[in-house]
Amino acid sequence: MNKFDAVRLVAAREIGERIRSKAFKISAGVSLAFILTVAILPGVIGDGGPTTYDVGVFGARSDALEARLSEVAAFADDVAVDVHRLASEDEGRRLVASGDLDAAVGDGRVVVDRVLSDHLGLIVREANRQVTGEAALAGAGVEGAAAARLLAPEPLAVQALEPRSETETTREGLVFVGTLLLYGQLIGFGYWVASGVVEEKASRVVEVLLAKAPPNQLLAGKVIGVGVVGVAQLVGLVVIGLVAAAATGSIDLPPETVPVAAQVVAWFLLGFALYSCLYAVAGAIASRAEELQSTTTPLTFLAVGSFFAAITTGGDPGGPVGQVATFVPFSAPMVLPIRVAAGEIEPWEVAAGVAIVVASILAAMRLAARVYAGGAMHLRGQMKVRQALRAEETSRTGA
Amino acid sequence: MLELVTLSKRYGEVIALDGLSMTVGAGRIHGFVGRNGAGKTTTMRITLGLARADAGEVRWQGRPVSPEDRRGFGYMPEERGLYPRMTALRQIVYFARLSGMEAGEARAAALAILESMGIAERSGEPVERLSLGNQQRCQLAAALVTSPQLLVLDEPFSGLDPVGVDNLAGVLQAQVDRGTAVVFSSHQLDLVERLSDEVTIIDRGRVVASGPVGEVRRSRGADQLKVALEGGGTAWADDLADATVVARFGDEVVLELRPGGDDQAVLDAARRAGRVRSFHRAAPSLTELFREVVSA
Repeated sequence: MNKFDAVRLVAAREIGERIRSKAFKISAGVSLAFILTVAILPGVIGDGGPTTYDVGVFGARSDALEARLSEVAAFADDVAVDVHRLASEDEGRRLVASGDLDAAVGDGRVVVDRVLSDHLGLIVREANRQVTGEAALAGAGVEGAAAARLLAPEPLAVQALEPRSETETTREGLVFVGTLLLYGQLIGFGYWVASGVVEEKASRVVEVLLAKAPPNQLLAGKVIGVGVVGVAQLVGLVVIGLVAAAATGSIDLPPETVPVAAQVVAWFLLGFALYSCLYAVAGAIASRAEELQSTTTPLTFLAVGSFFAAITTGGDPGGPVGQVATFVPFSAPMVLPIRVAAGEIEPWEVAAGVAIVVASILAAMRLAARVYAGGAMHLRGQMKVRQALRAEETSRTGA
Repeated sequence: MLELVTLSKRYGEVIALDGLSMTVGAGRIHGFVGRNGAGKTTTMRITLGLARADAGEVRWQGRPVSPEDRRGFGYMPEERGLYPRMTALRQIVYFARLSGMEAGEARAAALAILESMGIAERSGEPVERLSLGNQQRCQLAAALVTSPQLLVLDEPFSGLDPVGVDNLAGVLQAQVDRGTAVVFSSHQLDLVERLSDEVTIIDRGRVVASGPVGEVRRSRGADQLKVALEGGGTAWADDLADATVVARFGDEVVLELRPGGDDQAVLDAARRAGRVRSFHRAAPSLTELFREVVSA
């Protein structure tokens, strides 16, 4: 039996037992229900279309108002206005009060139930401005095309200095959401590793295991096993969610979804390798499941802190937070993909960030294997990391 | 044959083992006795490679023990040593495979050992749902599944009822009959005396007595006499020329012969005092020996 056999066996056990566990079935079921709800609901209840306002027009210039309201509304992508001709202001008041109309406008007044929303207000005011302007111009003898030019000039031409394609925006969004999603799971998977280690300590299985295989192989198998289950669960959920969403027409998937997802997963694997080794340390210094709460707290802080750094970076990919977080091993796997997707990063920064993360993973693995070996035989009470290292040192010296 | 050669181990200021040496022969049951904290578990852990000695050596079949040797050893830690939520069959297969068996071979061996332990029909249940007795059987099955040449058991009899003790004793005897070297620790000295071929008594990390049980018993002090009279009390034994009183239990008195003392003279004295119901000469029991050596 070589060392890969031991790692493979431990990982296979981890996968088999995790999948069979009630906790896994429940969490997978809840996640699946959540994903399906989010994916299917918009398609079923039909969001997606623009907001439509019902606006009534009355008074002397209702013809002109009707025409201008539709024109102005056409400028905004996500808003449409249905215009209704009213016999009188009173009818408008009645229909607004009953909720059939969002607003009734005419004779220099707009009637609303409680408040005039910003969006609708802009449209109604602009239409009204044009109508009154038209009347004023007509009074001054300006009519027809000349009046139209004055009232509705050619729209401003937009000239972006760094034009952004639609796909770029989509990619950034996907990376951002994907990264945050995965790191939300990171704490969960890390906790699995920690609780798996402490379960073996509490049940003394670790004594039997350590007689069969060295601690670094046992640990590698555990981390790989949990990682496989975790990533498989996530990928499965995302695929099911996307397929369901596409089937019900809730969203349109851009073609770069798959490579972007692959990139996010690759970064996540680096992050998981780092965090899971540290969670294994947290498990190894506890002797009962109850103690995990306190031993994993520093890691939870690290993960949450990195999570906020990633959110900040999402809003400002080239900003100072993102720049610093690129070189911190705990946050780099979250921040780097976001900055790369936004194009706000130098190649050397990517290389340095990856190098730092990989070096940290190697250091964390070494630390975890030593603490695991040192802590494994410490079966009563919580210990300090330093204590576990000392225990491991004394167990290594001599014959 | 397992040889532990002058093992020493310190934990900080605490000396756990202080030059401990002992030998466990193939096909022998070796009892390992000592007070709590005497170093029994540390010795077992060093044997299995779970802890390393500061000095000394573990030898197996005449050469330093290797990791491969250790993978083939059967070990049962003091408490549990099983995954609570894993089924009995799956975890025994798992341990067999970690010991180097192929998948098919491991499964066949696991089924066979569970069958012989009488828990085959419960083997699909998570271990935590088995009774304590069956959990212990499962634990033993995990240690035995690879047909180890060395079996190390830490307090295997603790918590077993007399029937359980007999069953486990039978299993161990079967192992020994096929040539396995068995070493087990226990607090129950009568049990060790009954089951073991050899015994090692340790105290504060040192061996205080070791060897075949009979030899160890005879090695310390003189033979003892146990004499019981019918309602005669024990005062008759107070000033005997040939023996001194070691202990009294009701009408029974335990005497130790003085050097050159005559047991027949003691019997005569007893008959003068009353009707002798029993008269028995034997080497000190392990329990008595243990009390003597560890309190010295």
